Amino acid sequence: MIFLNINNLNVSIEGKKILNDFNIQINEGEVHAIMGPNGCGKSTLANVLAGNEDYEINSGKVIFKDEDLLDLNIEERAQKGLFLAFQYPVEIPGVNITPFLQASINSKLKNEKKPEIDNISFAKLLKKNAEELGISIDMLKRSINTGFSGGEKKRYEILQMSILNPALSIFDETDSGLDVDALRVVTEGINRFKDSKKSFLIITHYQKLLDYIHPNYVHVMREGRIIKSGDISLAAEIEKSGYQNF
Amino acid sequence: MTFENNFINHSKDYIFSANETLANQREQSFRKILKNNYDKKNNESLKNITISDLSKFDYFYKYENKAPKVSVLDSINYEIRVVNGMCQNFEDDNIEIRNLQNYDFNSFLDQDNNNSDDIIIDLNKIFLNSGIFFNIKNDTKLNIRLIHDTSDNFTVFQNNFINFKKNCEINFEDHFNLSHNTINNINYNTKVEECAVVKHNIFQDFSSSNKLYLTSNTVCKKNSSYNQNTYNFSKGFVRNFHNISLNGEFAKASLKGCFFLKDENICTNKTNIVHNAEHCISDQTYKGILNHNSKANYYSNTFVSENAQKTEGYQLSKGILLTDHCSFFSKPELRIFADDVKCSHGSTIGPVDETALYYLRSRGINKNEAMKMIISSFIEEDLQNLDHQARIIISNNLTNFLNSLSDD
Repeated sequence: MIFLNINNLNVSIEGKKILNDFNIQINEGEVHAIMGPNGCGKSTLANVLAGNEDYEINSGKVIFKDEDLLDLNIEERAQKGLFLAFQYPVEIPGVNITPFLQASINSKLKNEKKPEIDNISFAKLLKKNAEELGISIDMLKRSINTGFSGGEKKRYEILQMSILNPALSIFDETDSGLDVDALRVVTEGINRFKDSKKSFLIITHYQKLLDYIHPNYVHVMREGRIIKSGDISLAAEIEKSGYQNF
Repeated sequence: MTFENNFINHSKDYIFSANETLANQREQSFRKILKNNYDKKNNESLKNITISDLSKFDYFYKYENKAPKVSVLDSINYEIRVVNGMCQNFEDDNIEIRNLQNYDFNSFLDQDNNNSDDIIIDLNKIFLNSGIFFNIKNDTKLNIRLIHDTSDNFTVFQNNFINFKKNCEINFEDHFNLSHNTINNINYNTKVEECAVVKHNIFQDFSSSNKLYLTSNTVCKKNSSYNQNTYNFSKGFVRNFHNISLNGEFAKASLKGCFFLKDENICTNKTNIVHNAEHCISDQTYKGILNHNSKANYYSNTFVSENAQKTEGYQLSKGILLTDHCSFFSKPELRIFADDVKCSHGSTIGPVDETALYYLRSRGINKNEAMKMIISSFIEEDLQNLDHQARIIISNNLTNFLNSLSDD
């Protein structure tokens, strides 16, 4: 099975080209990190994979679990097992976290032709996963991200990931705005979730996050494409000398 | 029939028609309307009103013995059925309800006049054919449900007086069961006496052939509280104009409304709160969700008089436009003549938040359901203080509205 294969992907927004013959292959169970200077197209890549309709796909192919990802709409991609942890999770006052997450997991289960999770089982699952992330029960009674601190928003993204159990999780600069303690909690959450069936694409500016997560591959991205790939040592090189040498 | 012909042919049918003073006032109002020829440009009361609905309509009103009824469901729950503007006269230790009598004429003349430029109120005075006097006695705690039944083709011009006496605590509900092709021009004059607490919920849900022009003028005395919540799910035209005067210290008032419009429907809203005393708090919040080619407007006014120090006054309007063809015009106004006040106003109108929609969909929720979640959340906070039964009414109406989105 081809897990994720992006082949010569070209993407633009309002006529401006952002991704430029972008290629990457991620296999089941692998953790990939993409680093790159501001404006190189990292967040665009994350959003295009999640199905954001603001972008125009000019050409290229994206195969996810043997299916053409570009044929699927936003929710179909999520139901198929793709999860994007947002850089700036949006506040939605009035939409309560618990019923929203239950509706999310049930839409996925329905798509997989599995029985929906009942209220009691879901409450147990949510409580267990929230406790592991140090999220209080009170927080689960609130509206989505409303009044959350930066760290709380990111922890809540990890909670959603742990509930929805995606095959591919994309983290778009999850470390931005996090202090050291919050970063540790978030990365521990990610590490707890890792196994041989789950894959990750981590987008970041900093080596610190990768020190906690230990990616299998690190890629450097510039001007909409990957220009160099390697292991964790590549992150250390960037930390030391910046992107000037790439 | 034209406005002139209605006036000439039916002038003897109206309440207080034998009174010369009122006859003169009616004549003056009639001449004023004719002279100005419904000058829409300079009159807020006519915004989004179809002039032909006022200048030409079939006036029809006759007393029918349809047994309007007051039901005392238990010691605190009353249900009052008003049929074509008439009620059953009733009195017990808690309330007095009766149809307007000739001796109420002075109350009618003395009613607080916030509406000098309001043509709808002029029409109410000219064609007045019914009215109810409510007296809610001191210290009572009641839930009162008022059901307005209007029969086919009736034109109800009603002027009501409600006195909420000292220390009463009342949940008051208005429901409009309008059958077919009715015109309902209803004006409330409400007094909320010292330390009285009134929660007034208004439910508007009727078919497209009906029209409702609902106006209220409320005066709040010292330490009283009046909270009005209007929920408009009607397919027919609705005008909600509500005024409050805070005349006693530490009085509190809120005028809140939610409306849900679709197809070609129109509604027009205005709220006006006048602060005449110190330490009063007011809140005006209207929210609308508009689909298809629907249209709405909302004027909100807060007036703080010179002696109303320590005032708090808040205004907010929010609208979600579901198509490019609907429109919502909002105009908040603050006029402040005291120097120690806290006042604010805000207005946000636009399409559904695409970022929120993207976020919900990225968690596997389909676009239609995500849209419903966002729209429900938009009014969720306005439902918090409703009792169980009222929540069910709103929830059912909201579900119907949201389901109609799926049909598009």
